[in-house]
Formats: sequence, C-alpha cells, structure tokens
Amino acid sequence: MSKVIEIEKLTRKYGSGVGEVVAINEISLNIEYGEFTAIIGPSGSGKSTLLNLIGGLDKSDSGCVLLAGKDIAKMSGSQMSDFRRDRIGFIFQAYNLIPVLSATENIEYIMLLQGIPSVKRKERVQEMLFLVGLEGLGHRRPSELSGGQQQRVAVARAMASKPEIILADEPTANLDSKTGMALLDMMRQLNEDQGVTFVFSTHDEMIMKRARRLIHLRDGLVALDERNSNATP
Amino acid sequence: MLMIRQAWRNIFRNIRRTVLTCTLIASSLVVIILVDSLINSMAGLMVKGITETIEGEAQVYHSGFRDQYDPELYIKNPKSIISYLESDKEVKAFAPRIIVPAMIGSSYNSVGVIVYGIDAEKESNTSRLKSALIEGNYLSGSDRELILGMVIAEKLEVTIGDRIVITSSEINTNQMVQELFRVSGIVRFGPKELDEGFAFINLSNAQRMFNIGEGIHQIAIRFNNPELANSPDLALYKTLSSDTLEAKGWLALQPGLGAILEMTGFSTLIMGVVLFILASLGVVNSIFMSIYERTYELAVSKAIGTRPSGIAILVLLEGLFLALLSCIFGIIITLILGNYLQDNGLPLGVMEFSGVAFPDSLPIKLASYQLVNFPFYVVILTLVAAIYPAIFAARIVPAQAVQKAL
Repeated sequence: MSKVIEIEKLTRKYGSGVGEVVAINEISLNIEYGEFTAIIGPSGSGKSTLLNLIGGLDKSDSGCVLLAGKDIAKMSGSQMSDFRRDRIGFIFQAYNLIPVLSATENIEYIMLLQGIPSVKRKERVQEMLFLVGLEGLGHRRPSELSGGQQQRVAVARAMASKPEIILADEPTANLDSKTGMALLDMMRQLNEDQGVTFVFSTHDEMIMKRARRLIHLRDGLVALDERNSNATP
Repeated sequence: MLMIRQAWRNIFRNIRRTVLTCTLIASSLVVIILVDSLINSMAGLMVKGITETIEGEAQVYHSGFRDQYDPELYIKNPKSIISYLESDKEVKAFAPRIIVPAMIGSSYNSVGVIVYGIDAEKESNTSRLKSALIEGNYLSGSDRELILGMVIAEKLEVTIGDRIVITSSEINTNQMVQELFRVSGIVRFGPKELDEGFAFINLSNAQRMFNIGEGIHQIAIRFNNPELANSPDLALYKTLSSDTLEAKGWLALQPGLGAILEMTGFSTLIMGVVLFILASLGVVNSIFMSIYERTYELAVSKAIGTRPSGIAILVLLEGLFLALLSCIFGIIITLILGNYLQDNGLPLGVMEFSGVAFPDSLPIKLASYQLVNFPFYVVILTLVAAIYPAIFAARIVPAQAVQKAL
C-alpha cells in the first residue's frame, strides 16, 4: 500500500526560553491509504497538536508533512485551504457545525466551496444523510439535533467532499458510550467500504479497541507504534 | 448563495446587538438627512430672501455702480437693454430702478435712506415690494407717491397720507434738490435693515427729481428658471456685459451669500463625517463582538476548507446586511419625521440671518437625492468599517482558535 501521510522529523514548540514546551519532538511516521489509526496518549502528550500539524491547521517549527506526496509547508494559505477542502475531512471534539445552517446546508457547505453543481450536491447530501442514518432530519439546525446526531452530520460533512483522509480529534469525547459506539461503527464501515483513511486522536478505549493501528505518544515522542491485531471487527 | 444565507442568518444570532447597531447607523442616517434638509431649507430661504425681496436673481447696472453705489454711474439710455430683456424668453420679469441716497424728513424727524425710483408694475412682478405692503396702497404711478419701510415710518412718526420731504442732490449738477411726497404705503419685509433703509417712489418722479432723463441705475431680473441665474454661459450675461455694463447673477452679486452657502455645505459634510465615523466605530465593535463569539466556528470553517477570502467575504456580507437593514430602518424613520416636519416645520423660534428673517417654524423638505445618496454612503462606509474585522477574521489560525475556544 502507498503512503498517504509521511511525517519526517516533525517538531512543534510553544513558548520560548524557560517556558518553552516541545509539544511534538522530531516525530517521524507514515500512514498508508485505508488505515484506521488512533493516536493515543495522556493529556498533553501532543495528540491534537500532531493532528493539527497533519491537517495543516498549525505550522511546524521543523520537519515536514507530506500528504498524498505533497509537502504542505510549501503551500500558500489558499492552496492549503483548497487541499483541505478537497482531500481532508475534519471531525472535531466539540460539535463543529455552523449553527445557522441546517444539517443539509452544513453537509452541502464544502461541496459548494468545491464548486459542485447544485443537482449533484443535493444528491450527495441525501446519500450522506442516508449513510449516517439521518434521512429526514436534513432540515434541522444543529440546535435541533442531539450530540450524536450532530457528530453524524459532522462525519457526513467530512465525507461529503470524498476526501482521502479523515482527521478526527476526540470525536466521541462529548458523546455517551452507546452513541459513541454507533458513530465509531459507522466510521469503521466507511473506512472498510470506501477505503477512506481515518486518523483519530483519542483517549477513548472504544476507539483504541477498534483501531487497527495504535500510535502511542508521550511527551511529544512516539513511545510505541503497534498494529492492533485484536481490533474489534 | 449559501454564504449569503449564512451571513443573513448570522446577523440575527444576537438580535439585541443587531437592533442596537442598526439603530446607531439608522440614527446617524436620519440625523444627517434631516440636518441636510434643514440646511437646504435655510439656504433656500436665504436665497429666496435675497433674490425675491429686492435684489432679483440677476442685475444689469453701470460698471462699478455696485462698488460704491455712486449715483453718477447710471445707464443713460436703457432702451436697448429693456428691449433685449423683453425679447429674452428666459426672462420672467425685470424692474428698472434709480437708486440714490437721500435724507427724508417728516414734521417730527429726519433719517438717511436709499431712495428707489421704481416702475410700480414691473417692480411688482420682480420684487416682494407689493406683497410686503402692510398699510395703505401700492404705487399707482401718480405723482408724489411714496412707500416707506415700517421702521422708517415709526422713526419719522408718519402714517398714510402724511407729508414727507426728500432731500438729495441732482446727479449731474450736484445741486441740492428737495421735493414733497405723501406716504401712500408702508411695507414690512422682515429684516430690520430693509425696513429701516429704503423708501420707494415712482420712477418718473425720481428721473425728474434727480434730473437724469431716462437714465436708470439698475435693472433687477427674474428668470423663468431661477437655476439659470448663476450660469456663467447665460446668453443674457454675455450679450449685456460690456465695458460700461455689468450683468451678473445673484451669486456673483452676493459673494458673501455664496460663501455662507458653501460653508453650510461644508459643515454638513463635517457633521456627516463625524456621525458616520462614530457609527462606523459602532459597526466595527459589533462585528468584532460577533467574530469573537464565533472564533471556534470560523476556525472550523477555515479548517474544513473555506479560504481566508471566503471568511472575509462572509464578514463583509454581514456588514452589508447590517447597513442595508439600517438604511431601510433609517429611511422609514426619515420619511415619517420628514413628512411631519414638512407639514409642521421645525420650531426654531424667531431667527434672522444674513439679512433674511426665518419663520418661527421652518418647514423642512426632503429631497430624493438624500434618500439615495446618503444611504449609499452609509452602505459604503459600513463596508469600509467591516474591512478591518473581515481581515482579522480571515487571519484566524484554526489550530490556535480551536484551542482557545476549547
């Protein structure tokens, strides 16, 4: 399998002098297409920072990230926006939907940025709503949906643009275990059916059990990178 | 389209803030339109006061006459000028005049005045003299009739029918001349300087008394279209102006009034700029508050692929909608207030400015340009004010914003 994410000696520091904190310390790793990977570790180990750096939401102090063979550090702000729009899907811990838009409009949002014609957008929105089990609820605004439903819309939005990678930062943190489990099953299904690469940062045991690869971070370093042969199907 | 919908809905996320911001912008709009209308009304009254009372919208006179009002500078043969004015279709009315300083005395007192020799009929079509009559009769053309300003009549302690002696000197010989008149009418123009400065007699009386034959000092003119008066390309000015004659519109005759009008326009501009700057600061504040409340949301939008320019456009659209709502709100309030003030006037009290008396209640008339131009400026300035917050929002770093928001 070919590599979709290549990380080479990636470093990210915060603060300076005595107060300097090395959040990510010369990490190198690769993730291949179709992987279902969890980055795990205690709070402050650098999970979210690594995910942000992979997604181009933050800039590294040294090292490089290659996404689908492209060095994101060499991209301009707009090029990075376009790259994220077309090839990366994001799911955040907090419900990250635009509150003034309905579920349908939230899912449609990225496709609109991509310039996809209206008819195709509508078709794709219905397809995604069906996929995440929210058919018939597209007209509702986020405030009219439960936390689990909102995260499902977030997954649908992330999937709508047909990205190669989905980066999920603690996606189940605000959900009860049953809802979190259902969401995770759904994402695993998408990974298996559509081959989308999933990278999670998480504390959640459920995700850890289902991930096929676990990258353990500690103090900004990769403490362990293991294949989870016991991953729950 | 989705972004337009999003921006429109965003401005209603905090209705109280939107209402307050719109009220601020709309109030500025209402104030500036009403102030502009008030100044326009005052300026209009000043111009009308000057042009309709005595001066006329334009004048023809001997070169240099208006510099010192030297009676010796008179037009000896005005016939050709009068025939030209009679044939000019732009000219609505004109009034030839003799203007001479004199002493007038009654049995009780004497005062210095400017005596106007006038053609009664032509004058009634040109100036407000006839309509300003408050007592007695207008000049009929009969010998030795005299109209006095109200203040002079009081000073001389005369009333209709009383005898008045005008003392002056013949224009060409400088010999003293004295003639007896009877008060036929008393006028009240309003401004004190007019009511205490002028006496009016028939033109033929004046020509005979001051011994200038058919000569006159001045012809006051009114046009069918008053706006033509200050057009330097007007054929009348070009044709009648010569080495010995000057023909000018009221703005050239009254440069002081022109300066006042310019100053009032400038003061409206200053007031508008100050008001709109204050309103703009309110807009900046409101949009910033809205951005700070939505930092996480904007960061997420950026994270999922919205370009910085897209975020900036969203904020600018919100500014545009705020401005449009404010303008609609402001125009409605302006129309309601404007209609009221047009019917009832703005109570300013008794006021006199630059020789023009204003009525107790000054009617304010709205002009269509005010309801188009000023809202347009509001929209532009609101958009300009929204540029800084828009740039700020566009520069949000998603990772930092998400971290802060959490």
